[in-house]
Amino acid sequence: MATAAATYTKPATDGKIVVGVADMAVTNDPTAFLVTYALGSCIGVTVYDPVAKIGGLLHFMLPSSKIRKGQDDSNPLMFADTGVPLLFKSVGNLGAVRNRLIVCAAGGAEVLTNDGHFKIGSRNRTILRKLFWKNNILLSADETGGSISRTLTMNMSDGSITVRSKGKESVLWPQ
Amino acid sequence: MATVNELLDRVQDLPALPGPALRIINILNNPDTDLNEVERIIKTDEAIAMTVLRYANSARYGRPGRTFSLRESIARLGTKTLMKIALQCQICPMFSQTGTSYGLQLGAMQRGSLAGAIAAEEIARDLELEPELCFLGALLRDVGKIVLDMFATPEEMAEAASYSDTSASFLQIEEQVFGANHAEIGAELASRWNLPERIIEAIRRHHSPQPPGEEFNDPVCDVVHAADVICLWTGIATGFDGLQYPLAAHVRDGILGTRDRAEYYMTNMWARLTEAEAEMNADTAKGMTA
Repeated sequence: MATAAATYTKPATDGKIVVGVADMAVTNDPTAFLVTYALGSCIGVTVYDPVAKIGGLLHFMLPSSKIRKGQDDSNPLMFADTGVPLLFKSVGNLGAVRNRLIVCAAGGAEVLTNDGHFKIGSRNRTILRKLFWKNNILLSADETGGSISRTLTMNMSDGSITVRSKGKESVLWPQ
Repeated sequence: MATVNELLDRVQDLPALPGPALRIINILNNPDTDLNEVERIIKTDEAIAMTVLRYANSARYGRPGRTFSLRESIARLGTKTLMKIALQCQICPMFSQTGTSYGLQLGAMQRGSLAGAIAAEEIARDLELEPELCFLGALLRDVGKIVLDMFATPEEMAEAASYSDTSASFLQIEEQVFGANHAEIGAELASRWNLPERIIEAIRRHHSPQPPGEEFNDPVCDVVHAADVICLWTGIATGFDGLQYPLAAHVRDGILGTRDRAEYYMTNMWARLTEAEAEMNADTAKGMTA
């Protein structure tokens, strides 16, 4: 069902479109579920246009692409500063309207102690908020931080978002 | 409360290290061994030979329009790369059918084993340590989880994880539930396999390396610990245990050091993992990362 307008459209397998680490998928298939497993310090960002039923999910790893600037194998989806704009652009290419988008996020966990100056999860959360603030984007719901691994799923029929961690599932959106 | 040995004795079918892997480890641990032995092991094991061929003819090592035979591949790759390929090929599949009690999909532990090994090798090269030894230690670091996986259902493990203090290390939770943690169990298993002492200690201390000056401090343990944390940050093979493990201060301030360096190791590990999986044609598709 997904069109070729965006680069990151993927067909669903058994109803699921699985998004890996440093990966993204957008779709207009209302029967699909977009899912990303095992968010550690990484963050999963979902966007959904409830009118057009177009959505996307990005699983980024780190805040800034500067770290791999000039590298041949640099992947824009690995980083918040390059991945998030691509996510919005890709759902836009499919026909989503920006001011209708419902935006959610999950992940950004930390190791237990002594993470010190790394704070990868926390810096991922900070850059995401800065990016949204700069671009006047409202975060509808988020579940970030702690030391837990999360699985994030978006139901494309209604945009509902669930987060699964420690074997338990909770609804992130609608709240 | 059961001891590590009692726990292991209760398991009917303890994981076994494949014979060719043991022979390669002995070569790695004994620099005086005839390196032609590596070639003999590869030639007599079909699975390893096939992997060596795939590597030698991959985008990284191959040459367009040219297919290398096994004999040519062995000559091109060199002994150290061959040892690494053989270990990877023999040890990673041991993790392919485990991890469900930790809430992981099948294949996730296999990917975690390889990801850690790749990160450890890279760090060891930078530190001019022993990359092959660090690679092996990281490949095997979570072998104790294979044993614990046999004792609990996912529901039991999830319940233990849910009701525990989330600021406590998951090792403590394993100790409360099983009587021992996966690092101790893995070390004891490696000891029963007669692996070199440094590998046993790397497995035992991959979440708790001793600082310099303390007994049992070994840079190999530090490297394997750093590689494990890189995998945790990336979310590879994190299940009910999540990121509930500490980062040792001396590794944080030493090996990992700066943000740039830590993030570089993460991104490099990821790039090399996806490349290695393509070369191995492994069944660890990204849908299996949970």
